[in-house]
Amino acid sequence: MSLSGSESDSLASRRSKKPKYSKFTQQELPACKPLLTPGIVIGAFSLIGIVFVPIGLASLSASQAVVELVDRYDAECVSANDKVGFIQDTKTDKACTRTITVPKPMKRPIHIYYQLENYYQNHRRYVKSRSDKQLRYKDSAHMIKNCEPEAASEDGAPIVPCGLIAWSLFNDTYAFSVNKKSIEVNKKNIAWDSDKSNKFGSDVYPSNFQKGDLIGGAKLNDKLPLSEQEDLIVWMRTAALPTFRKLYGRIETDIMASDEITVVIQNNYNTYSFGGTKALVLSTTSWIGGKNNFIGVAYVAIGGICLFLAMCFVVLYVVKPRVLGDPSYLSWNKETPDHPN
Amino acid sequence: MRPERPLLPPSTPPLPPQQTEEAAGRASVDVPDRLPDPVPSPILRHSPASSTRRSRSLRSVMANSPSVTFAEDIRSGSKAESSASSFENFQFRLAGSMTGTPAGVARVSTRRSASERAGSQRDLRDEDARFVYINDADHTNAPPARFPDNGIHTTKYSILTFVPRNLYEQFHRVAYVYFLILAALNQVPQLGVFSPVASILPLAFVLGVTAVKDAYEDWRRHRSDKTENNRTASVLVGGVFRPKRWKEIQVGEVVRVVANETLPCDMVLLSTSDPTGVAYVQTINLDGESNLKTRYAKQETMPTPPEALAGIIKCEKPNRNIYGFLATVDLDGRGAVSLGPSNIVLRGCEIKNTTWAIGVAVYTGRDTKVMLNNSGAPSKRSRLETHMNRETIVLTVVLVLLCSIVTLLAGIWLGDHSDELAVIPYFRKKDFSSSNADGTYKWYGAGPQVVFTFMMAVIQFQVMIPIALFISMELSRVGQAYFMVQDKHMFDGKRQAKFQCRALNINEDLGQIKYVFSDKTGTLTENQMEFRCASVHGGDFSDTDGGGGDGHSVTGEDGVVLRPKTAVKTDPKLMALLKDGAGEKAVRARDFFLTLATCNTIVPIVVDTPDPAARLLEYQGESPDEQALVYAAAAYGYTLVERTSGHIIVDVFGTRQRYDVLGLHEFDSDRKRMSVIVGCPDKTVKLFVKGADSSMFGVIDKSMNSDVVQATEKHLHSYSSIGLRTLVIGMRELSQTEFQEWQIAYEKASTSLLGRGNLLRGVATNIERNLRLLGASGIEDKLQDGVPEAIEKLRQAGIKVWVLTGDKQETAISIGYSCKLLTRDMTQIVINSHSRESCRKILDDAVSMVNKLRSFSTDPQAKMPLALIIDGNSLVYIFDTDREEKLFEVAKACDVVLCCRVAPLQKAGIVDLIKKRTSDMTLAIGDGANDVSMIQMADVGIGISGQEGRQAVMASDFAMGQFRFLVPLLLVHGHWNYQRMGYMILYNFYRNATFVFVLFWYVLYTGFTLTTAITEWSSVLYSVIYTAVPTIVVAILDKDLSRRTLLKYPQLYGAGQREENYNLRLFIFIMLDSIWQSLAIFFIPYLAYRKSVIDGASLGDLWTLSVVILVNIHLAMDVIRWNWITHAAIWGSIAATWICVMIIDSIPIMPGFWAIYKMMGTGLFWALLLAVTVVAMIPHFVAKAFREYFTPNDIQIAREMEKSQDLHDATHPEVQMSTVARA
Repeated sequence: MSLSGSESDSLASRRSKKPKYSKFTQQELPACKPLLTPGIVIGAFSLIGIVFVPIGLASLSASQAVVELVDRYDAECVSANDKVGFIQDTKTDKACTRTITVPKPMKRPIHIYYQLENYYQNHRRYVKSRSDKQLRYKDSAHMIKNCEPEAASEDGAPIVPCGLIAWSLFNDTYAFSVNKKSIEVNKKNIAWDSDKSNKFGSDVYPSNFQKGDLIGGAKLNDKLPLSEQEDLIVWMRTAALPTFRKLYGRIETDIMASDEITVVIQNNYNTYSFGGTKALVLSTTSWIGGKNNFIGVAYVAIGGICLFLAMCFVVLYVVKPRVLGDPSYLSWNKETPDHPN
Repeated sequence: MRPERPLLPPSTPPLPPQQTEEAAGRASVDVPDRLPDPVPSPILRHSPASSTRRSRSLRSVMANSPSVTFAEDIRSGSKAESSASSFENFQFRLAGSMTGTPAGVARVSTRRSASERAGSQRDLRDEDARFVYINDADHTNAPPARFPDNGIHTTKYSILTFVPRNLYEQFHRVAYVYFLILAALNQVPQLGVFSPVASILPLAFVLGVTAVKDAYEDWRRHRSDKTENNRTASVLVGGVFRPKRWKEIQVGEVVRVVANETLPCDMVLLSTSDPTGVAYVQTINLDGESNLKTRYAKQETMPTPPEALAGIIKCEKPNRNIYGFLATVDLDGRGAVSLGPSNIVLRGCEIKNTTWAIGVAVYTGRDTKVMLNNSGAPSKRSRLETHMNRETIVLTVVLVLLCSIVTLLAGIWLGDHSDELAVIPYFRKKDFSSSNADGTYKWYGAGPQVVFTFMMAVIQFQVMIPIALFISMELSRVGQAYFMVQDKHMFDGKRQAKFQCRALNINEDLGQIKYVFSDKTGTLTENQMEFRCASVHGGDFSDTDGGGGDGHSVTGEDGVVLRPKTAVKTDPKLMALLKDGAGEKAVRARDFFLTLATCNTIVPIVVDTPDPAARLLEYQGESPDEQALVYAAAAYGYTLVERTSGHIIVDVFGTRQRYDVLGLHEFDSDRKRMSVIVGCPDKTVKLFVKGADSSMFGVIDKSMNSDVVQATEKHLHSYSSIGLRTLVIGMRELSQTEFQEWQIAYEKASTSLLGRGNLLRGVATNIERNLRLLGASGIEDKLQDGVPEAIEKLRQAGIKVWVLTGDKQETAISIGYSCKLLTRDMTQIVINSHSRESCRKILDDAVSMVNKLRSFSTDPQAKMPLALIIDGNSLVYIFDTDREEKLFEVAKACDVVLCCRVAPLQKAGIVDLIKKRTSDMTLAIGDGANDVSMIQMADVGIGISGQEGRQAVMASDFAMGQFRFLVPLLLVHGHWNYQRMGYMILYNFYRNATFVFVLFWYVLYTGFTLTTAITEWSSVLYSVIYTAVPTIVVAILDKDLSRRTLLKYPQLYGAGQREENYNLRLFIFIMLDSIWQSLAIFFIPYLAYRKSVIDGASLGDLWTLSVVILVNIHLAMDVIRWNWITHAAIWGSIAATWICVMIIDSIPIMPGFWAIYKMMGTGLFWALLLAVTVVAMIPHFVAKAFREYFTPNDIQIAREMEKSQDLHDATHPEVQMSTVARA
């Protein structure tokens, strides 16, 4: 209610009151009104089927071409009954030799992974226990708020890198020889380039690391900046699931079928206290990455189901046809109650 | 001291309160001295005050009565209430009748007579009064009074109070409190699921958006306040009138206003430029009535120059009643003189036709009646929102269930691993650093740990209850309202009235209406009366075909031609009879028109035209019936030219005749007639009476000319059966003795201190007897445009239309026929009884008849349409005797219900009857204050912004110009809004549940520790940014069917009535869909990446994108009409999410740095995204395709028809033209 304004004002405003007509204000914008006609439904399902099945088959065959060797060694490498005692004893020699026979020729590069099972790298207490600022910036060494209980050494100096993740760095090592001839493992470029260049500082050096009473895992070379500690960088990218692999290195030579690979494992890492398992994985790659039958099977299955649905709809449309937009189907136009509604 | 206005039975104007006061006031002054035209013979001058306040005709009276009457009612009952606003009282009454006994309506009407008898003299108690010292603002405002200044502050906030007050208001929403508690819980160090900032963000966002909206509105109010407050008025300061800013005007100051100026505050008139103290005001800003109202300065205050005036005004405390004012003025101890509503002019009105007026400010600023009436409509809750609560509870249960599962599993896990927790690298219960005394790290014992897990789970899964839903609903309603307001089909070109959305929270209710309760006059009809028929001395003169339509013009004294503004068609035979006729019939005919011209309260106003030799004669009055009658009289040669306080000048075929007004008896509800006693030029004294037929036939001397009486009765019947409003005209010549007796009685009654109203009524009844019947008039209340068609459409849409009117039964039925509400094939059940017993019997008969008919015809097609016609009295009996159940049973079986002669509160009672017994949605539509009660009672209240006051509009949720706009409003906008809102709520539930389920599945693989792979920022942004815009856009713009189709097939409205778009079944289906989709989103990548190098952040990004893409595709699949905005919103939203994820992954100190870029470089990522989308959507797509083809509902069929129509239009453009024309 306007209390002000002279009569002429109010007249003028009254005249302009009429809503301005536009397609937008009248909600008449040109629009497309898709309908799920039989053609579209059958077409959509068929298209998905036709696209998915070949992709599935292709990726399945690619996956089949990948050679993947998995060798679980946690139990075999400890002969003692008291496995935890064995692994915690710093004095014993923990070397362990494993022999793997290659069933099919493996093309380089062959990726070496370690696989941990039942290891909750995604545990809430664990993932939070890190300081990304400290990893990145030299001046942020004191940013250890989240790093408990591995935040500072006994004298209060900040640990770099701090936190449970870094503290529990995996420290088994592998030495390979094929047919008794030792081969080199390339441990360069196993971490993401982006992590090396931007996430881990090239001027941040480890300090006070693994100096506490309880050693969680590997020690770091204090002379190397964090950006070059690739094992750490790989480890710090915490796994999404409790069974995971981490890249250890690459073998840059082809391995023939029925070659024997001998691996000398320094079995240092303690997974025994919580029932975790450790395995060594050697795998070639293809365009879909490592060995992964699931995606191929899934695609074939999805494609198959869609083709099946397409046929079902064809049958249904033939059995129970209906004229689209027939007014006699409107509820108030139906003559008999048993008319399809 | 105002006499009460009784609660009116319909169509009976109230007893005007002023007359008595005026007379009382006048009695103590030397009246004749001040008369401009001394009148011959002993005359008690009729006060103009009473004349104008008189009968405001059926309608307008009813319009005003509720707010007045009930308030008065209460006050007379309990004095303590008297300071409270009458409107509150009124609502209190209403509430009482709603919740209380069914006899509520009846109780009111019985109480009425009691309050009448309670006497008209009520004293204003000192503690309930405000004392205003005229011309002495300091004294007036001295403590403890402290009245507010005249500045208005409609703003809710100031800069300082904005934040706390706005937050306080927003947290009235329980959901926000829930989110606040969760955010607070999150700040507990042990529970910090999100970082402190992230946890507050969604709530802050929602609060912020609302706050910005509120702040903008408040700023606009602030601006308009400022301009308003800085206007100037002329105020008496130190004996001189000086301009002063409005905001500085104080109570007690004397203000001078000139013609066409707006009044700055509520003031009591002291004097005006008119010697009799008249001032005309236009109250359009206040109540929307465009006619001029007359207000009077008291004779006591008139002679004193304003600067010399001193005295005390004792008036009631400020209240909302714009038609009531109760005060006394005591000038220098000369004794108290009463003041009434006719002595006060209100802020916002304009002074017209009066050179100047001087008044004293009594209410200022926020105390003014216009400000007190400025509050908005009471907020209602939409049906959908109420239903939504049910689903919210279900979701809460699901939420608690999820949290319990996580807690339970976490407890089991902790138990299983209790030995290892100390050293396990990813738990490390033990802290070996010596600084920690108890040597544990974040470990509080297994019990608390489990409790914390539960709380953390609640925080993590909180979005199960969608926080953004509330703000989305608000925003979409704003959008929907915008389109309703902009709709050119709901713009009333004639009145330049736009559609108004006054309530923003019940848009979707418009799509579910089952009952429409409509007022008649002003809503179905125009409330523009047109004189159609006259029955004069037993002769029917209805044939107006041959009559000239230009009206009769008179030449004024100065030679200027005066022409009545509205021309009325005349019957040539009657015209001839009047002009040249002789004999009794001609004499009676002349008296007949003389009565029409004199027996009224119309004020003729001369308006200049461009032609200097011609002027328009405009009749201003508060009753459209009277205006019609006076225009008719003018057309037949009896032109009312001048009316002053003491005489009337009528131009009779060119000769000016002067009639002295000797006395006037107001219209009142008991007598249902008014009369005027005039001294004629031939020195005779005549009594002219006009009134309702029922009351008039009781006072007519039937022996005088029985054949005329019979013929008139017959005519009356035929008039009312064609829907005309009838009035009966009678007269009597008074002998000298009769007149003197009357005069003594009248004087005595007028000056009596107690029971003045009753005494005056007695005097009137005494003189109004043995009348000679002159004839009757028939006035047509024209139907509004398109009403029959609109009612037809509404009926087709399955909406039951009930008409509640104050008219009498015959008129109501005839209007019912003319607006196609009633049809000839209907069986009418009429309940119209005068006693409780007969009413009960009729009702029982009706019930058995309805039952018989129902059992009789099982086939719905052959069902006999029924109409129930019931009158107000019977309703009283029914509500009184707990027969409501039976009435409801009958009413439900009837297609049409017509309630006639109902009082305003009964209207609300009828609406309540339906509301209490069914879950069906009700809508009430009306234009007058008498409809306020039902408008507020109904689920949806619609006000017609017509000529009647603004009260209905103020109380309504929506306001529009014409009844027929109800069709586009309900059938088109209501349908759309309901469909859109229903879908939006379901979709919001689905969308958030899907996300929560994905989080939940992951928790099962993290040792039940509520880690998320999805970054906390994505969790937080998910419901406010990633997915919010498309839902709002779709909820504003999507249309399932075009306007054309919806109007062509009104039956499609049934979808909303049957709650097809939002119900528990749909909710369950969409939740199952949500679970399936979350499984697909989670497990397909899970299986693909099991035993791989995948890191949490990368997988999290994949899940984030999958969820967002999926819910948007789901929405896209359900969108019916794709225009560019929809495209932009949906695809833009996905793109925006992608960009956000990329931005988050570009921050080096985030753990997931660069993950998305790495992921996008692998084929597996893309393959999974595609697979997830397809697998998740298959069930929805299959169900949709199946449902739409094999079990189509009406809307689906109509959509297909529309599509084929479009194709047809495209290929046959010329055919399209013709279909449009047909549509």
